[in-house]
Amino acid sequence: MAVYRHFAETARRPSPEEVAARAAVPAAEVPAAYARLRAQRVLVLEDDGVSIRMAPPFSGVPTQHVAVAAGKRYFANCAWDVFGIIAAMGGTGAVESRCEQTLEPLRLPIEPGGPPASDWRFHCAVPAAHWWDDIVLT
Amino acid sequence: MLFFRSEERVRQWCAGAGVPVRPLVRLDQLWGLAVAWYATRLRPDSRRPQPEEMRRIFAGLGLEGPFWDPRADSF
Repeated sequence: MAVYRHFAETARRPSPEEVAARAAVPAAEVPAAYARLRAQRVLVLEDDGVSIRMAPPFSGVPTQHVAVAAGKRYFANCAWDVFGIIAAMGGTGAVESRCEQTLEPLRLPIEPGGPPASDWRFHCAVPAAHWWDDIVLT
Repeated sequence: MLFFRSEERVRQWCAGAGVPVRPLVRLDQLWGLAVAWYATRLRPDSRRPQPEEMRRIFAGLGLEGPFWDPRADSF
């Protein structure tokens, strides 16, 4: 929870030290906690083994998908997750992204009932059974 | 997992990228997925849906077939 709370409150990824402080645990315990979260498929680290790349729906790095909620701008991992941040933050906000083919900007207000009717579509090239084969690519 | 302005733009992108056109998802369906996966993510008891639960969520949104089966081995 410390990881997700940090993302929600600051709109950026926490360092291991920040996670330890929030969770009131020694910093030495953070890597093991990260490994457990990875096994549950709710955390992805960078190659350095300590920096958070993904805490779905939040992204630890800038992306083309931005959720605007609670006065903050959050980077999301993908088109699904940018809606997911709005859902996690209470269901109201806005989504900014683009059409991958034309690069036309997408700007959608999101109310608790969801987005307005639209011809925009979501497409995932990877079947569900393989999403976590390479979740960054997915 | 990307957005496209229309179904035609999806087909154009897939042809250019050399990937198959997968089932297309409306934004109201995507919102349903987002709520199912993430509405409780900031709560202490939050957890990611398990495979059977995933199947039910997909089916409830009209997303069925091997592509959406988290345990399928053919697509």
